[in-house]
Amino acid sequence: MNPELEHATAIMRRGRIMVALALLAISGVYLMALRYTPVEARQGLAQKIFYIHAPAAWCALLAFSMVGLAGGLYLWLKDPRLDRFAASSAEVGVAFSCVMLTTGPIWGKPIWGAWWTWDARLTLTLFLFFLFLGYLTLRASLHDRSERARFSAVVGLMGLVLVPFIHLSVYLFRTLHPRPILMKPSEPSLPPEMLHTLLTSFGVFTLLYLGFVTLRYGIALAADVREDLGDD
Amino acid sequence: MTELPQNGGYMIAAYVVAALIYLGYTMSLWVRSGKAMK
Amino acid sequence: MPEAFRLALAVAAKDLRLELRSKTSLLSAMVFAALVLVVFNFARDPTAIAAQDLAPSILWVTFAFSSMIGLNRAFIVERENAAFDGLLLAPVPRGALYLGKYLGNLAFAAVVEAVTLPLFVLFFNVDFGHALPGIVGVAALATAGFVAVGTLFSAMVVRTRFAELMLPVVLLPFMVPPLMAAAQLTSRLLAGRPLSEMIGWLRLLGLYDIAFITLCTMVFPAIVDE
Repeated sequence: MNPELEHATAIMRRGRIMVALALLAISGVYLMALRYTPVEARQGLAQKIFYIHAPAAWCALLAFSMVGLAGGLYLWLKDPRLDRFAASSAEVGVAFSCVMLTTGPIWGKPIWGAWWTWDARLTLTLFLFFLFLGYLTLRASLHDRSERARFSAVVGLMGLVLVPFIHLSVYLFRTLHPRPILMKPSEPSLPPEMLHTLLTSFGVFTLLYLGFVTLRYGIALAADVREDLGDD
Repeated sequence: MTELPQNGGYMIAAYVVAALIYLGYTMSLWVRSGKAMK
Repeated sequence: MPEAFRLALAVAAKDLRLELRSKTSLLSAMVFAALVLVVFNFARDPTAIAAQDLAPSILWVTFAFSSMIGLNRAFIVERENAAFDGLLLAPVPRGALYLGKYLGNLAFAAVVEAVTLPLFVLFFNVDFGHALPGIVGVAALATAGFVAVGTLFSAMVVRTRFAELMLPVVLLPFMVPPLMAAAQLTSRLLAGRPLSEMIGWLRLLGLYDIAFITLCTMVFPAIVDE
């Protein structure tokens, strides 16, 4: 087999192992969250959604930051590996954004009383979702590799610069339009089980992000190699 | 002492939806990498 | 620097001359704006919500979407005649090229907004009065911001097959902060609120403009050069 293709295959195998391990660890986290952590007295079982909702949000933000940073670096260094990495991170980011945007309302309804509250975190993730989609749609419509890489890099970098402005806009909007809240999620003292679970969850989902990106990167590399060789 | 709200259904829904999305994406990557590795 | 600026003006002037000759984009944008206003009027319940409350949002949605119509035209014209390659081969510094396109688009948006505003006042019976200078200022700041990003994106999107569809998809998230700020400021200006309530949004607009106009100018060469 072509050595570059072998390299891509090796990356894909590594990615598969990482994903499998991460998923295994996640089932462990599921057990921790569902059984080991205490039930919050005022919010009930629904509070436990937080253990999978918050890490998903973190991973979406991480994925997006990587898209932006890799894009900026690509504009400077012109290394195609950076572009491949950015594209992979964007696709993975969509997956995490979907989890965040579905678990968010499912958590919001029992805890805040409304499916959607335009709060800072949810709104920002919604924007990340749209930015990801715009980024991926643009990529899909450009077929020249160099053009696609450059344009994506620009959109990614600008998207990253946009994020603090979204944050500021939502903050300004919220301070003047306070929402009525049924129950405020409490964060006074976190019992150790909650803290352990939360930290473990963040670590495990980050591993899942890395595994997904590695696997996706391998797929992209294989596709590029094949295209260079002239296959279909 | 207020009563514990009965919202376990939401918790299960969220955990299931998240699992489905992650597993779904994993399967997509698995199939695509399978084709790429041939 | 003055040389570059002169070149930019030349690029802008060429675009505007072209536009004035055919007038298609300008007319489409103005008709579109008028139609949007009409639709908004019939889509609301006048007894339930006062025009005054909804006015800023309606105005800004109209401005935003009609400006987007004009944004693509700056580069589509070039693509269709392969004229852009000629422009790129000429020793025009890329910053000047971007600035020229930007100024052209800005002029376009200004005309559309200038025509839309009186229509808006007419249809919705909104009394601007004392607030008018402030609103014009806010409009200038906000438009300067999103037209900068729109000009850059239209340069990219014109290379795809579905430019008119792609531009909103990529651009709209970037339009939200200036739109939000503009609508909030317009609303406060109309209600005669004190300046202290507007400082936050004004700062947002100012920062956005500085950040994105600079970034777009710096990044434009990467779009047009290999």
